[in-house]
Amino acid sequence: MTINAMGGGAKYKGTQMRKKQLSEIIKKKVIEAKQVCEGDETSDECKVAWDEVEEVSQAKADLRLRLEVEKKDPLESFCLENPETEECKVNDD
Amino acid sequence: MAVCPVYTTQSLNSTCSISTPSKTHFSSHHNHLVFYRTSKRTSKRGGSSSCVITCSAGDSQTVVIGLAADSGCGKSTFMRRLTSVFGGAAEPPKGGNPDSNTLISDMTTVICLDDYHSLDRTGRKEKGVTALDPRANDFDLMYEQVKAIKSGIAVDKPIYNHVTGLLDPPELIKPPKILVIEGLHPMFDERVRDLLDFSIYLDISNEVKFAWKIQRDMAERGHSLESIKASIEARKPDFDAFIDPQKQYADAVIEVLPTQLIPDDNEGKVLRVRLIMKEGVEHFSPVYLFDEGSTISWIPCGRKLTCSYPGIKFSYGPDTYFGHEVSVLEMDGQFDRLDELIYVESHLSNLSTKFYGEVTQQMLKHADFPGSNNGTGLFQTIVGLKIRDLYEQITASKTAAPLQATKA
Repeated sequence: MTINAMGGGAKYKGTQMRKKQLSEIIKKKVIEAKQVCEGDETSDECKVAWDEVEEVSQAKADLRLRLEVEKKDPLESFCLENPETEECKVNDD
Repeated sequence: MAVCPVYTTQSLNSTCSISTPSKTHFSSHHNHLVFYRTSKRTSKRGGSSSCVITCSAGDSQTVVIGLAADSGCGKSTFMRRLTSVFGGAAEPPKGGNPDSNTLISDMTTVICLDDYHSLDRTGRKEKGVTALDPRANDFDLMYEQVKAIKSGIAVDKPIYNHVTGLLDPPELIKPPKILVIEGLHPMFDERVRDLLDFSIYLDISNEVKFAWKIQRDMAERGHSLESIKASIEARKPDFDAFIDPQKQYADAVIEVLPTQLIPDDNEGKVLRVRLIMKEGVEHFSPVYLFDEGSTISWIPCGRKLTCSYPGIKFSYGPDTYFGHEVSVLEMDGQFDRLDELIYVESHLSNLSTKFYGEVTQQMLKHADFPGSNNGTGLFQTIVGLKIRDLYEQITASKTAAPLQATKA
């Protein structure tokens, strides 16, 4: 069983999907924030929208850090117990 | 029936009366928490105060450290350096929620204060509050649980999932030797502040924050310079109102600023870092350069040490910070080579190292961490050693003092 390092250390399918999911959420939240803030940049809605962007950006960065620097897949211990689940399939692409 | 030492918790100014409840029995293996309310209500912020009588094993002496930072939780470089000083790597709890923010090593447990969000992402959107707003956080629960852990009692702590934005089922946190609470509001609530044995505030200037967030986010397709800037700007009012004021309470502030060595530098790669240390803090003796309490300006590069551009500049001296006496140690520039680091270490005093070169060794151990070549890594490492020293002093003093039952 080889671990493909090209995916930035994402060993399990679940983590690879999580990475993609977070990128999509970031894209979506940035667009939302721009829309919400068009009317009033100082509104509460605008503040909250950019705070959400910050939250998911940090979550993505944390995941990237874990995978690339620490080289540990967050699903490691879960997948040791549940190797048959969809998300615990080892990443081949 | 087990004999149990009884003592009241600190920082309560109401009188406590101890009476035995009718149906409780105390097992020798477990810690029990019994709450009693006083007859008079003291109007401290947060409601009525209550007496807590804890029955716990004599060796539960959790030291609590608070770290205020706006850079996510538990995975930050500071935390990793800190846990490394104590030995062992900090890992998320095994077999639990993969999205847990908690880190556990032999000696330390790091808790992310986002776990005390009272509102999840949807809730915050509905109420129109950011995560920075105190209204999004349950300070009562934070206080109760930190206090419980400090007294040797395990708690079921909620988990805030940063990916889904939801509050997940709780995880069990057992009292460690050292508890670190990291997040946006470790020093916001006075009751929580009083539980901290040491507190640190990581103060990143706007220019550096912008540079760091660019590095963090530019690889994301969803982001651009504009969106990164807009996000920082939009969060700034809440940050200034709720987070920034905490720095006056910190025992140590690490201030990160752009360098003064390169004119008009806006890359944020070379940094000027100031370690602001409060004087008079129990178990904490500030680091100094050459002569304690005097004012020093020092450029180590010269005949004995060759540095490459832009070099290194240190300064040290007394100052006041929000009305407190402080000592400030400042480093501007970067380390290029090992011998620069060891040369600098040999000229600093009160480092709380256990052997000569320990700071350098710790820095080398994590040479791949961000900040390993500048003041951020250096001062984070030094603060880690100071915390170790503080822990050892507190532990030594508690073992020496006999446990006494309080008088009613």
